[in-house]
Amino acid sequence: MAGVLLAIGGCGLRRQTASPIGLNGAENREQPALSGDGRLLASLVERGGRTTVLLQERRSGKVLPLRHLRRHQPHSSPSLSWNGRYLALLIQRGRRREAVIEDRASGALQPLFLPGNAEPRRLSLAPDARQLAVELTSQGSTRLQLFDLSGLLEPDLAPGLRESGGGPGGPP
Amino acid sequence: MMRRLVLTAGAALLLLSGCGGGRLRPLAGLNQQLNQLGQGRSPSLSGGWLALIAARGSGRVQVQLIDVKRRNPVPLPGLNRPDALPISVAVDQNAERLAVVRQREDRTELVLYKRSLQATQLLPMEPAGVPRQVSFSADGRVLAVEVSRGGLWQIDLLEIP
Repeated sequence: MAGVLLAIGGCGLRRQTASPIGLNGAENREQPALSGDGRLLASLVERGGRTTVLLQERRSGKVLPLRHLRRHQPHSSPSLSWNGRYLALLIQRGRRREAVIEDRASGALQPLFLPGNAEPRRLSLAPDARQLAVELTSQGSTRLQLFDLSGLLEPDLAPGLRESGGGPGGPP
Repeated sequence: MMRRLVLTAGAALLLLSGCGGGRLRPLAGLNQQLNQLGQGRSPSLSGGWLALIAARGSGRVQVQLIDVKRRNPVPLPGLNRPDALPISVAVDQNAERLAVVRQREDRTELVLYKRSLQATQLLPMEPAGVPRQVSFSADGRVLAVEVSRGGLWQIDLLEIP
């Protein structure tokens, strides 16, 4: 197992620090998001002074490619579906924060048009990708809204219920 | 010829759907329910459950758990304390486990709440660090924790039996 095995605590916890990717591991890594099956980890790192999403296999630390997410930084609030087919996150396009979903199976980047003028601050994608929770901020107040994605995305279900693929870099 | 036409039409449709984006359909009834809980933040969706941190007008900040299908808040006895301020929450797909980062007195702590036991368990940071944000795998067996340690933000991965 890659990464640093820190301890096995008295309550049976097994601890690991996510595999370092910078020199000596001296690099900030923020906003972790696990895929539903726990196989993949998305997080935010600095790349050329810009906060950029990074997708890795949790156990090996192997970095997986993201086709559309080398631009539009800063990125924030990554969230993964069950098999990691979908990665939802916030990107910066001009002055606006925008919610998008990269479909790793089809290679498409799906912009999500939120109603109203509120700015999205945080996302949570349901593991089956049927719903999205969005924390919105407007005039100093925050609220949560839930949205139905069933007309936009195929579900990404657990094995046995599976209707869709896990995208590139999936399990053999 | 017909096959070529079908393929061309299919490719055009794929291109359109890839570029066009999607207007999201709000879950109106549920969103109304969420507005009644007060200002909400730190959402965590899993398996038909939504965990969040809600602040009512009175200033009380609490972890809330919503059954999305029934649009009902579900009680969390023993989790919310008057002396604790929740910062981040994550829920597993059965809503059996909730991981909560909270500020209590002068320290920030990570606790695991088991709903069937109505009990919280402290998950200490080792080596010492200050937790900020949490994410669960759907089965609640793996927890990713953003931790400030030695002037850096790191991610700890905890496998919970």
